Amino acid sequence: MEDKAVLVIGGGVAGMQAAFDLAEAGIRVCLVERTLSVGGRMAQLDKTFPTNDCAICILAPKMMDCYRHENIEVLTLSEVTAIEGEIGSFKVKILRKSRFVDEDKCNGCGDCARVCPMGILNKFDMDLRVRSGAYIPFMQAVPLIYALDRDKCMRCGLCEVICGKDAIRYNQKPEIVERNVSAIIVAIGFDPLDPSGLTEYGYGKYDDVITALEFERLICAAGPTGGHVIRRDGKEVKRIAWIQCVGARDTRDNRPYCCSVCCMHATKEAILTKEHNPEAETFILYTDLRCFGKGFQEYVNRAEDDYGVKYIRGKPGEIKGKENKILEIFYSPSSDKVEKLEVDMVVLSTALIPSEGVEALAEILGTELDEYKFFKLKDPYNPTGTTRAGIFVAGYCQAPRDIPECIAHGSAAASRAMEVVLGGSYDRRA
Amino acid sequence: MKEEEVKIVGFLCNWCCYAGADLAGVSRFQYPPNMRIIRVMCSGRVDPVIILDTFLWGADGVFIGGCHPGDCHYLQGNYYAEKKIDMAKRLLKKAGVEPGRLRLEWVSASEGERFAGVMKEFTEEIKELGPIKFEKDEMEAACIAAADYSLRILATKEKELLEEGNKYGEVFTRHEMDRLLDDMVREEYEAKRILLKLKRPMSVKEIASELNLKPNVVFRHILDLKRYELIEAHEIRDNTPTYIAKVEEGVE
Amino acid sequence: MTEELRIGVFICHCGINIGGVVDVPAVVEYASTLENVVYAERNLYTCSSEGLEAIKSAIHEHELNRVVVASCTPRTHEPLFRATCKEAGLNPYLFEFVNIRDQCSWVHMHEPEFATEKAKDLVRMGVAKAARLEPLEELTSDVIPSAVVIGAGISGMTAALSIAKNGFYVHLIEKGSEMGGLLRRLYKLYPTEELAKEFLEQRIKAVEEHERVELHLSSSIKDVEGYVGKFKVILDENGVEKSIDVGDIIVATGAKELEPEGLYEYDGEKVITQLQLEEKLRREDLNRNGIENVVMIQCAGARGEVVKYCSKICCMNAIKNAKLIKEANPDINVFIAHNELQAYGEEYELYYRDAKKAGVRFLRFPLEKRPKVRKSDGKLVVDVFHERLLMDIPLEADLVVLSTPLVQNPDAEKLSKMLKVPLGQDRFFFEAHVKLRPVDFATDGIFLCGTAQGPKDIEESISQGYAAASRATIPLAKGYVSSEAIISSVDEAICVGCGICESVCPYGAVEVVETEEGRRAKVTGVKCKGCGTCGSSCIKRAIKMQHYTDDQLIAQERTAFVTEREVVS
Ligand SMILES: Cc1cc2nc3c(=O)[nH]c(=O)nc-3n(C[C@H](O)[C@H](O)[C@H](O)COP(=O)(O)OP(=O)(O)OC[C@H]3O[C@@H](n4cnc5c(N)ncnc54)[C@H](O)[C@@H]3O)c2cc1C
Ligand SMILES: Cc1cc2nc3c(=O)[nH]c(=O)nc-3n(C[C@H](O)[C@H](O)[C@H](O)COP(=O)(O)OP(=O)(O)OC[C@H]3O[C@@H](n4cnc5c(N)ncnc54)[C@H](O)[C@@H]3O)c2cc1C
Ligand code: SF4
Ligand code: SF4
Ligand code: SF4
Ligand code: SF4
Repeated sequence: MEDKAVLVIGGGVAGMQAAFDLAEAGIRVCLVERTLSVGGRMAQLDKTFPTNDCAICILAPKMMDCYRHENIEVLTLSEVTAIEGEIGSFKVKILRKSRFVDEDKCNGCGDCARVCPMGILNKFDMDLRVRSGAYIPFMQAVPLIYALDRDKCMRCGLCEVICGKDAIRYNQKPEIVERNVSAIIVAIGFDPLDPSGLTEYGYGKYDDVITALEFERLICAAGPTGGHVIRRDGKEVKRIAWIQCVGARDTRDNRPYCCSVCCMHATKEAILTKEHNPEAETFILYTDLRCFGKGFQEYVNRAEDDYGVKYIRGKPGEIKGKENKILEIFYSPSSDKVEKLEVDMVVLSTALIPSEGVEALAEILGTELDEYKFFKLKDPYNPTGTTRAGIFVAGYCQAPRDIPECIAHGSAAASRAMEVVLGGSYDRRA
Repeated sequence: MKEEEVKIVGFLCNWCCYAGADLAGVSRFQYPPNMRIIRVMCSGRVDPVIILDTFLWGADGVFIGGCHPGDCHYLQGNYYAEKKIDMAKRLLKKAGVEPGRLRLEWVSASEGERFAGVMKEFTEEIKELGPIKFEKDEMEAACIAAADYSLRILATKEKELLEEGNKYGEVFTRHEMDRLLDDMVREEYEAKRILLKLKRPMSVKEIASELNLKPNVVFRHILDLKRYELIEAHEIRDNTPTYIAKVEEGVE
Repeated sequence: MTEELRIGVFICHCGINIGGVVDVPAVVEYASTLENVVYAERNLYTCSSEGLEAIKSAIHEHELNRVVVASCTPRTHEPLFRATCKEAGLNPYLFEFVNIRDQCSWVHMHEPEFATEKAKDLVRMGVAKAARLEPLEELTSDVIPSAVVIGAGISGMTAALSIAKNGFYVHLIEKGSEMGGLLRRLYKLYPTEELAKEFLEQRIKAVEEHERVELHLSSSIKDVEGYVGKFKVILDENGVEKSIDVGDIIVATGAKELEPEGLYEYDGEKVITQLQLEEKLRREDLNRNGIENVVMIQCAGARGEVVKYCSKICCMNAIKNAKLIKEANPDINVFIAHNELQAYGEEYELYYRDAKKAGVRFLRFPLEKRPKVRKSDGKLVVDVFHERLLMDIPLEADLVVLSTPLVQNPDAEKLSKMLKVPLGQDRFFFEAHVKLRPVDFATDGIFLCGTAQGPKDIEESISQGYAAASRATIPLAKGYVSSEAIISSVDEAICVGCGICESVCPYGAVEVVETEEGRRAKVTGVKCKGCGTCGSSCIKRAIKMQHYTDDQLIAQERTAFVTEREVVS
């Protein structure tokens, strides 16, 4: 039975879709997620282009379906540490780190979080909000099981006292579990580039230069400001600009590729800003507008015509802070001109890069990466096949793609894994 | 519950508004305790008859919460909800009740704070309006009218009529649609008022004076009701015929 | 039906989460006074193993036939309590959930008295509903373990082959006389620049050779009946009518290039489309014609000219063909007049850079001022408005190539009606959910992939082909489909067959059919998702939405502020 299982690494939309399809087809799946909750990057978004669907609203039921599925074993806070064998019979070692909470007992009431005296920046909220030492990354987290932050916890013992379910385990040890699987799907997604190194944008220097993912948290009703687009000093934002291709399509750090989603997420974020505050002025500074997907051009038209979002072609050379927290963006609309735009918030559409740890994982899996550390395809027209038989890839970690493409890609990888698991075992003619 | 506390019933869809209310809870956003929540799978499930019945049974306000347009878990359910609630509001008005006592809101699963805000606002609005007052007869008539097929067809077909036109390809403007809705609601409501009156035998003139309607209007309704075999002639009294309802048509 | 109602109520303290605000013992005491309630208790955590055991033993001990739990939210805990009821031998749908934490104790923390009152009211409403609950069963129905794929372009071929490899029989239906679709007319493919012909040859062979793929060439669909698991597809194959029974269906009918009639002096000779250029390149007759200047015009007919959308592939395709021309003969000048350039992702951005290096010249025009084609002294001239110089640049051309968008096939409309699946505003097939269900239709058992869903390149068409295969394999591998237990049902004695319900159901789950009594609505259980919209729309109120029946909702609403006894009297 066990050798008919599939391992999925990464619980973002792509990984969850792959796991769900396989499980529905009756195949056992082990889903390994590095963080406390499945959901991936999409869980961090406010709305999604081009429909402005609320991201977590449509994602949460999917996360639940995955977690509850009788054929899916979700291992959170876990990482793959070794594999042996080959297609049809891989043996996988998985490190399960400690939550310091008994998963079977905790019912997610959150009492521990409320008594915990520690205040720690929450990574899920892009460090814009403080959480306790006992925490879940976000309210809709799946599974809804709290964890103690080992590094920050000072073992005061308060949570142990308050927890009515006797679920706190200060001495929980990490463990290594083994699973036998026929095929493996990698879906570890992306990280946003930290733009501090690109000094011309002043990220880290000026309070109100933020990244797009930070902006997604900022404008989210369940986010740190309750959805209010405000500057660090608490003032409402009146003029706001997005700068595209920050660190992307840029040969300086060998990142010449286009991230495929930023033109549209900037468009979305500008629309949402206008919906929150129709008085706000929104500018998008871009080089080429990538509006190729289904409904994208229509979305851009709406942003321009109905919401008054202004698109400006021109790549900024520099951002400078003035008095009163005003930011000046210098950009050149043509080769011989430099213009200036004054705003009070700048959002950087930073490059999206392969997830931290991708090289180590590729090493463990014995698969090749391409020049930019995305998983390499054996055949460019076989979009889920890595360089190793029986190991497939899905989602952003293979190449830039948006949510629906990641989902299709996740299903596609599932079908390849089904070919391995089911193939030959059925031959039922109609 | 104290005397001055107003009573509200809320119908929330499982996927968005109910989840938003949960999030308000998880985040501890406080709001007034006046509303009693009923979970439905989709706001499209909420029948105008049930809404009006809720008022009939003493609610001072009724709240319907669904997904934002385009977010409906069942694609279009919330769109139909909007039309049905519009119909219920028109009937409320007929029964002499402020339509503001009925409120439809789109609240997403991530809008916990907004849910709390909407609750505060709506409770305030209902407090402002005070306890509900209506004539039982009138609210009952509104209820039965909402159960009647003609208004139900109209509520469902509104979108089609506005966008694709009727069987003759005539597309309705918003203004024409409003007029049509008003006319139909008035007609149905009057007819149902008359039907309820006829639990005991009455003549056209008696009905006209009790309901404050023109006798020719009452007569037209009487003919219709007779045609649909909902009432029958009872006896001739002083040369004027009286009528009576055939079967006891109660609410529900 | 006349069985005596025996309701058990379990109120949870949730540690201090409920108990710290709501007076739980008072609620328990109140619950035990309610009509039909024979047992009430409180638990520190009803969801703990002790709590669940308590429910089970109470079901046995007190012969409970309805269970109400008042605790947190059904959105996380309902499955758990339902399962507990089931373990104790009670139908899981005879369970009712009351939320007194998320929507009571947590949001009225500073008004404990009101919170307690509200909790009592909510419990009363829950008990009133519980009294009217009915046992429900999930329906299942068998699945014929084979599939139909309509369209044998690259996406359909991929889907068919993958389903076959997954172990199931596939019918691949193609209206043309050969497989390959649009690719059959192409020269080389970006980004690999392999010959389309060679690319196709091996793939066609793999499909032909697979024992579980049955190919139906020169075939068209005449009719489709049935639902997921049991479709009947009627086919006209070379003039012979055939009937195929399958479990599910994939639509992979592709798209075609827009014919730019009346645009940019299009004549099919000197002003041609990219597809016509591909044919010229295939025949290698570009050099022979002594062509020196080629101008390509992007977005011809797209992005607001004829269609509103961007066609995703024409930028890359123009770059490919421009590069190929340039590399074959560096003396030919090739200009691409464009507005944006969709060189997205990893490879395409690099490919675009290569084309620049190869000497292809790029000129950007604003969308409001698209290029114009005119004849001057028998020569073609393309005026391109220069965005920065703010003036027209006249470009002489021996050949003008229009990059026109992909558009839906004209016969797609017919297919969409037969399958009862929608087309979008852009006329492409419209998937179930733009974000989450890219290759599903809202109707269960029908899927889509490739350019039938919208313009896309080969790689993405293949990705979708595999994705559709995965989705379609699920019911085949399972062998059955199960419906929700919570579905609607029609009372035929009341229904008049007006069809309103059919018009509002997004899943085609309720349809008006001829019966002996005349036209009546009928619900196909496995299709219904249980939204209840048909019920609230039915003009005769003939539809019952299980588990959320009028009766149950009215009981809840009426007992919100008064007791059941007052309602009944
Ligand atoms: C600011 C912003 C806005 C966006 N807006 C939109 C939008 O509106 N619409 C849209 O379609 N797209 C949008 N996108 C793109 C979208 O977020 C991605 O397409 C999508 O989330 C990618 O999904 P994924 O599953 O491939 O990866 P991810 O969502 O990144 O998921 C990967 C998962 O793998 C886990 N993981 C990573 N490494 C390991 C490991 N070694 N072991 C185990 N697990 C691991 C991660 O923790 C994560 O849970 C946006 C992106 C950004 C940055
Ligand atoms: C000029 C041009 C050049 C291109 N170059 C490239 C390139 O270099 N690289 C790249 O990646 N992409 C390229 N593309 C895009 C590529 O052609 C598509 O991605 C691909 O063809 C999509 O495949 P498909 O199977 O979805 O559709 P199609 O190839 O259109 O195949 C659909 C099939 O379905 C059949 N069909 C239609 N209706 C019915 C029906 N009712 N019943 C039965 N059968 C039916 C058709 O006959 C056809 O065989 C190019 C497109 C164009 C127009
Ligand atoms: S660990 Fe205990 S206190 Fe913390 S959430 Fe879980 S049950 Fe509640
Ligand atoms: S892909 Fe390029 S040419 Fe085609 S419509 Fe889009 S922008 Fe225009
Ligand atoms: S709406 Fe009601 S009456 Fe009309 S067909 Fe449907 S079930 Fe029958
Ligand atoms: S309940 Fe919803 S899904 Fe089911 S038949 Fe009615 S409208 Fe269709």
